[in-house]
Amino acid sequence: MTAKDKEALELRAQIQQHLVESGNYELISNKLAQRLLDEGWIDQVKKLTRETMQDDNTTNFSEVLKRVEPEAVSLVSANTKNEIMQQIKAFLCDILDTQ
Amino acid sequence: MTLGRDAMTPLTVLSVSETIYHNLLTSIVQDIVSRTTSRQQLQDARYPGLAPLHHDQRGALDVYGRPKPQEASVYFRCPNCSRDLSANRFAAHLERCMSRGARRG
Ligand SMILES: [Zn+2]
Repeated sequence: MTAKDKEALELRAQIQQHLVESGNYELISNKLAQRLLDEGWIDQVKKLTRETMQDDNTTNFSEVLKRVEPEAVSLVSANTKNEIMQQIKAFLCDILDTQ
Repeated sequence: MTLGRDAMTPLTVLSVSETIYHNLLTSIVQDIVSRTTSRQQLQDARYPGLAPLHHDQRGALDVYGRPKPQEASVYFRCPNCSRDLSANRFAAHLERCMSRGARRG
């Protein structure tokens, strides 16, 4: 890992921490969860999880997660993703401008 | 917290946003998978070999895979007069049976 990579990682952690402390992390997280519930994504992922447990005949968390996560991520509607991304970007631009 | 624009290189607002979005989303996925797998583990431990409920595409069989029973062939014992009656006649029977009892009392 280069010094630059390390710096980038630290900055990323710093931003995340600020997001949490300002209460914005919870706000955006709740909004994302609500959107996903409204569009049926939550139920889709539950169904996908049950099917994966049955197909692979396992209830092991890590094994099931490895199969479910990439598909669940790709199942989010473009609308929801864009909306949440807009909010995160707006928040980031806010911090960057207050110098 | 104050950050200079310079501090963002080589990161971009977009890439950091993507990472945050991905973190938010994957923690929701982890939550769902964790709940669903532990629920299944609990069910397996309590009721080993439990068969899933039956699903009939045609809608003819119930959740146990059985056809609809003929109600006329099911009998109830009336608690008022102790006679055995066909289940689909029970309400009509009660109307007469109970009012007879009330008149008598
Ligand atoms: Zn009776």
